[in-house]
Amino acid sequence: MLGRLFVIYLLLVNPLPAATAPDIDEQTQNIAKELRCVVCQNLSVADSPSEMAQQMRGVVREQLQAGKTPQEIKDFFVSKYGDWVLLAPKTQGFSLLVWLLPFVVLVVGIALAFWLVRRWSAKKTKIVASSIDSDLLTRVRNEVAIGKAIDVDPEDSSLGAQLEQDRARLYAELKELEFDFQAGKLAESDYAALKVEIESKAAAVLRQIDSLLPPQPAVERRLSREKKLAAETNKKTYRRWQLAAGGSFLLIFGLTLGMLLTHSLRPRESAQDSITGDFLTGTGASESARFLQEGKSAFAKQDWPRAIEGFKRALAADPNQPEAHAYMGFILIQAGHADGALMAFDKALGLAPNLPMALWGKGMTLYQGKKDYAAAKELFEKLLQIMPVGAERVEVERILAEMPQSGQKPRQQGDKASPATPASQQITGKITIDPKLKASPDNQAVLFIIARPAGAAKGPPLAVKKIDRPVFPLSYSLGQENVMMQGASFTGSVAVTARLDKDGNPTTRQPGDLTGDYKKGSVAVGSKNIDIVLDQVVR
Amino acid sequence: MGWRRLIITVLVIVPILWLLAFGFTRDARYITSPLLAKEAAPFTITLFDGGQLRLSDLRGKAVFLNFWASWCVPCRAEAKDLEAAWQSLKEKNVVFVGVAIQDKDKDSRAFLEEFNVTYPNGWDESGKIAVDYGVWGIPESFFIDPQGRITYKHVGGIRAAMVKAKLEEAARGIVSAKEGKEDYQPIR
Repeated sequence: MLGRLFVIYLLLVNPLPAATAPDIDEQTQNIAKELRCVVCQNLSVADSPSEMAQQMRGVVREQLQAGKTPQEIKDFFVSKYGDWVLLAPKTQGFSLLVWLLPFVVLVVGIALAFWLVRRWSAKKTKIVASSIDSDLLTRVRNEVAIGKAIDVDPEDSSLGAQLEQDRARLYAELKELEFDFQAGKLAESDYAALKVEIESKAAAVLRQIDSLLPPQPAVERRLSREKKLAAETNKKTYRRWQLAAGGSFLLIFGLTLGMLLTHSLRPRESAQDSITGDFLTGTGASESARFLQEGKSAFAKQDWPRAIEGFKRALAADPNQPEAHAYMGFILIQAGHADGALMAFDKALGLAPNLPMALWGKGMTLYQGKKDYAAAKELFEKLLQIMPVGAERVEVERILAEMPQSGQKPRQQGDKASPATPASQQITGKITIDPKLKASPDNQAVLFIIARPAGAAKGPPLAVKKIDRPVFPLSYSLGQENVMMQGASFTGSVAVTARLDKDGNPTTRQPGDLTGDYKKGSVAVGSKNIDIVLDQVVR
Repeated sequence: MGWRRLIITVLVIVPILWLLAFGFTRDARYITSPLLAKEAAPFTITLFDGGQLRLSDLRGKAVFLNFWASWCVPCRAEAKDLEAAWQSLKEKNVVFVGVAIQDKDKDSRAFLEEFNVTYPNGWDESGKIAVDYGVWGIPESFFIDPQGRITYKHVGGIRAAMVKAKLEEAARGIVSAKEGKEDYQPIR
């Protein structure tokens, strides 16, 4: 009973620590440290300042408060994002390899280094030993083994006597070494190394002694010397070649690796571009992208000649590069060529219908250059659909708000019509391809509908309408908005022709282009059903 | 001897080069979802029109679930297409659900008004639904079959034709082998 009361007393005095707020914070932080932020690169959820990481920390906290264990919470995130979400991979399955591999590599590396050192030192000993004639070595060993008595005359100072003294000393050293080894005073490796060293010295002395002996028959001696010399020369040459080849290989390898590595990285092109490998990995910026980048840098510095050069080269490398077309459009506007700019923007939009810069550029050219408010408005509205909230969007909205209503035009610019041109100032009709022409039209071809003043077969046209990738039969209308020359008006009698141009260049005619004209001759502006059949092929 | 050395060198160098190539070519941001063929996480969301939507109430219908934000460019690009797809499919046994994430209530409403979005949309203010679906880039779309199982996931903008095709598959309970990917924007 007393014991029970004591326990109750203790509980009252020291209540069990509840899951207090600081604990939860700490636990949240600890779990967040082990989770990878899904919108960052190699940052933990604890370290990332991103909104997503904050939300993930919120989820961790909530689950802790609901009584889940850290492991359960981590498992929850793994079930949503996969093992990727764990900063430290699991120690099971395939992920185990990530943990083990460094150690395996370390052990293998140490073993390899050890083996290489062993092999290298063994080779060195072998080389020392093999540089001495093996017959002489055998002779040394035999003489030491049988304890051959050597006559030494300490009074004799001749070379032969000196050598004999050395021989006797070295034989004595060998015997002593043997004795020390047998007595256990020497390690086996030391014994072997010293033995080889002394034996080699003794063999060298023996060779010198032999050379002092009466000479061998001259021919035999010469032959043997020549043979030895040739072998040594061969060996030296081979060694030199080996060194040269090894050196060259290392140099080339180093240079190649250096070059490849510097070229295997490139800066990110956008926030979504997380691949920074280059040509090595087949994910490099293309030639066209490189030139485009050059052009853009020059454009930013307003260095127009270099910018033009860059964009031209980008387009030469890839004619379907919409951004380069759009930039060319901006440069043409700067130079006052609104028509050229419109063509460039059209090309860009033909390739990327939602390219914001091309929509903006074409819109502004139509708005300010051509006063074609209806068309400009359409483009700006399209641009607004894809533009996120921000200063740029506000600017587009402002322009739209300030823009006169479609069809409305300033009086001084009365010669330029909007698409709302009255029917009385238009020529309308259909264009078809003569079925007898077996050549099927090119999908990329551009149709030009041209109106020239009646009787003027050559010279600049009065009005031109350009239609990318036309689909036949095609209904058309030609009006004031298509007039080429500022100040001219679309009135009177005109001759209408059409050309389906393969390369889209209005100034050139290429073999294979299809042409046709209105067979009944000139027509008055305001005429309807001016149907044209494309029935001639440019040869 | 020479051959042996060559083979050993190749055996050492090739895996290293492979590893390098693998590292350089993969999209480091891309997270392959483990959710395909799994049961879709249940959620309840308050819609912008004030109503409440519970995913579990949609059992028996194929569901197209789209995560978006008003500041996301690919979301703006797909908005019209999604509404068009909804208009052509709304009479069938399918439901479109939009979930705005990492956005402001006012901006989301303006977005819906701008694109004239008529299918149910709600705001996941805490981001819990996004975490439940392993969202990491937007727009992200999930297709859920009538039994409540995720049959397809698409990261990035999606076209009406794809929505229709994948909803048809979802209605028949066909699970795609791989998720789809188009232009996306990492969430913030």
